[in-house]
Amino acid sequence: MANSNANGNGNGKAIEVTSARLDEIVRALRLTVGRATQIEENVAQLAENGESQAAAAEEMRESVTSIATSMEETATASEELVRSQQTVAANTNDVQKGLEAAATGLQELAASVATVRKDTDVLAQSAESTATVVEQSARSLKTITGNAKELASISERLASAMTQTSTTIADTSSRGTETAATIEEVAATVEQMSAGSARLASDARQVGDRVTGLATGFKGVVGALEHVVSDAAETASSVEETSATAEELARSFRGVADLADTLQQAATSTASNLTEVAASVEEVAATAEKTAVVIDDNAAAIEQIARAAQGVTTSAQEVSSLAGSSATAAHQLDAVTRKIAGVVEEAKATSARVGVSARSGGATVGRTIGGLVKIRQALVEGAGVMKDMGKRAEEIGDIVQTINLIADRTNLLSLNASIEAARAGEHGRGFAVIAEEVRALAERAAAAASDVSKIVRGLQGAARDAQASSTEGMRMAEEGAQLSEEARAGLQVILEGVETLDGSIKNISTASEEQARAVQIVGSSTARLETESKSIARVNTEQSAAISSVARAASEMRTMAKQTRDATNEQARTLRDLVKMNGQLTGYADKLARATEEQVTGANQLAKASAQMRTATQRTTTAMADQMKTLTGMTESLTEIASATQRTVAGVAEQAKGAHEIARAMDSARKQAVQSARALGEQASATKELDSGVRDVARLSAEVTTAVEEQTVGLTVLAKDANSTRRVAKQTARAVGEQTEALEQLAVATLRQTASMKGLAQSTSEQTTTTEQVSQAMRDIRSRLREISTALTANVKTAVSSAKETATVAKEIAAVRAASAEQAELIAVLGRASGNGTLEPAT
Amino acid sequence: MSLHVTFRVGNANYALPASQVLHLESYETATHVPGAPAYVAGLVQVRGRLVPVVDLRTRFGLPPIEHSLDRRVVVVQNGTRVAGLLVDSAREVVQIDEAAYEKPPEIIEEQASGFVNGVATSAQRLFLLVDVPRIIGEELSHG
Repeated sequence: MANSNANGNGNGKAIEVTSARLDEIVRALRLTVGRATQIEENVAQLAENGESQAAAAEEMRESVTSIATSMEETATASEELVRSQQTVAANTNDVQKGLEAAATGLQELAASVATVRKDTDVLAQSAESTATVVEQSARSLKTITGNAKELASISERLASAMTQTSTTIADTSSRGTETAATIEEVAATVEQMSAGSARLASDARQVGDRVTGLATGFKGVVGALEHVVSDAAETASSVEETSATAEELARSFRGVADLADTLQQAATSTASNLTEVAASVEEVAATAEKTAVVIDDNAAAIEQIARAAQGVTTSAQEVSSLAGSSATAAHQLDAVTRKIAGVVEEAKATSARVGVSARSGGATVGRTIGGLVKIRQALVEGAGVMKDMGKRAEEIGDIVQTINLIADRTNLLSLNASIEAARAGEHGRGFAVIAEEVRALAERAAAAASDVSKIVRGLQGAARDAQASSTEGMRMAEEGAQLSEEARAGLQVILEGVETLDGSIKNISTASEEQARAVQIVGSSTARLETESKSIARVNTEQSAAISSVARAASEMRTMAKQTRDATNEQARTLRDLVKMNGQLTGYADKLARATEEQVTGANQLAKASAQMRTATQRTTTAMADQMKTLTGMTESLTEIASATQRTVAGVAEQAKGAHEIARAMDSARKQAVQSARALGEQASATKELDSGVRDVARLSAEVTTAVEEQTVGLTVLAKDANSTRRVAKQTARAVGEQTEALEQLAVATLRQTASMKGLAQSTSEQTTTTEQVSQAMRDIRSRLREISTALTANVKTAVSSAKETATVAKEIAAVRAASAEQAELIAVLGRASGNGTLEPAT
Repeated sequence: MSLHVTFRVGNANYALPASQVLHLESYETATHVPGAPAYVAGLVQVRGRLVPVVDLRTRFGLPPIEHSLDRRVVVVQNGTRVAGLLVDSAREVVQIDEAAYEKPPEIIEEQASGFVNGVATSAQRLFLLVDVPRIIGEELSHG
């Protein structure tokens, strides 16, 4: 341009034209300078804005970083929350499982206890029946005792009666022995008498023979009548002799008669004695009869006792077996109770575990709530930051919009400058370059602004999302807190339930222990009962055996009594026969006495006759010779005498025979007496045996009484024990019933608890899911924040570089302005030089 | 080598010799002229004079787009006539050797209704050269 100025010193027109052009150029340059100034200002403003943008972006980045940090914390906390909730859920599940197990255990326990109750009921019933049986046994034993006492007294009385009977029999026996001795004597006498009679008979026969011989002689005498007279003296002497003999015979007869009398008397006394004996025997028989009856009664009583004892034995065995089954039931009960105790212990442990879990769950939930509150606070803060960030982002957007606008304008200006420069041709080349650079810078600024705008838009979206997420997270945190609160309340309820459960379990444990103790007591008392009932059974068996032996003895005694009675009866009968025979004997004796008397009388008469005969014979003898005639008659008389004698002999023979018979009868009487004595002795010994037997009976009865009393005492104890067993069984049944009820309630409570635990588990699970979602959202937010942070960092960097570049642009624009100004000045100078100062130099 | 103003309509880059361009203006809105052809967006006042604006999208048969800061008006001079070409964006100028102009393939020429009268390349980029008189001439004779 300087050259053109320098070369323009031509004609005025050209100068004018040049001046006009220069003016135009100057105006354009001034315009350019003005524009450049404007651009500079704009660029300065842009730089300022860029810096403030950078600062804001930095601030934003820091905020985002802090947001990211808090988000990180929040995410960590929420993850922790998730873990905690999972733990809570697991714990809840554990608790639920434990509770379910507890419920199952309780149900089993309830079933077991129900079984126990059934067993206890059965036991109670058994004890009841046992007690009843024992009471019955006691009553029957009392009866037995009464019976035994009665038996004892009866035995006592029987014994005394026996003793009396024995004494009486001994007496009778001695009397019988005496009688026998007497009979013996009588028999001896009778024997003697018989012998005498026999002698008498032989004598009589001799007499008869002699008489016969006499008769023969007489016949011979008669035959030799003549000789008779001679022999009369002899005859007389013979008669004398005969008379003497007759007298002697008479005397002998008198003795016989006396003897017969004595015999009669003896027979009479014997008869009376026999009668007495018979009466005594009769009495004995009656007594024996009575004794037999009594013994029968006794035997019946003893048999009754035996039966009763058998019944007692059976009852005792029943008691024993019942006690055995009771013992078995008690053992089972004991085992079941032990099992219950074990189950209860387990339930206690489970409950304790549940309690610990619930407490730790409560603590965890507390921590969760704390974490949730913190999260909520952090989220609130984050939401505030987000809102702030959104506002800032909006501001950034506005700024970016402005930058964009400016860049656009710059671009436009640079393009137009380029176009102008192109129009300017060669002269505009440098300007075109600058315009191009400005355009490029503006383009870059626009691109950066567009990036920023994009980023800010993303940021805004992210902020909005973050805010929404934050709100959602807040809501979720609140829900989580609420749910955790509910969980805590639930856990509290669980804890209370567990405590209640614990208490219940403790009660159960205590009840179980008491039950175990009671069961042990029942078991031991049942065992004792069993032992006692066994010993009772044994004692009773022994007693039964004893009673059986007593019964056997009684039976034998009865048989013996019967035999005794029969023997006595027979004896009595025999005695009666004996008495009868004795009566006959007495009759015979009487007859004998009478006959003997008659004989005596006859003998006397014979003697008298003999005497008369003697006298007659004497007289005959004297008058024999005289009375030869009469001798024949006398012979006849003698023949008659002979026949009479014959008859006498026959009578004596008869008498002898009778005496024989007497003797024989006496012998048999003696024999009978001996037999009687022996029988009496036997009776006495039998009575003695009976007595000893009765004494044995009495002793046995006493023993029975004692045993029965002991049995009664045992039975009373047994009854007491049975009563206590019954009471204990009832108490046990009641306790078990209460236990069952409590267990059922507990089972129901546990089921309820389990149901609530299920609900809790579900809600915890939901909570966990929610929290996981929160965590996920948090993670998303965090990643987004990271992106934002990164983008912001880039943004800041870009803004910083943009600011730097803008500063460069400003500097360059300033240079442009300066150059333009210089140019303008030069042109002005040129103008002045060429057109005498038409133009003012540009400033 | 001469300066060309480049602009973008749709997906294609176009170029105009800077000599035909007066200047570039940003586009806010145009006053609609009733009865004018559909491709005439309206009238704008640029540096004290009224300039009709031809919407090249409509002119090239492309669907309309939303208003953006990028949209510009390339004020061209064809003889005495001044007109504005509304383009999607016009943000740079390039140096193109006019001797390197090539005729577009016939099929394109037919399809482009004669609006494109050449193809040029610069820095591996392809620019379509528009026939400004064709674009504005007919419409202005109608208008």
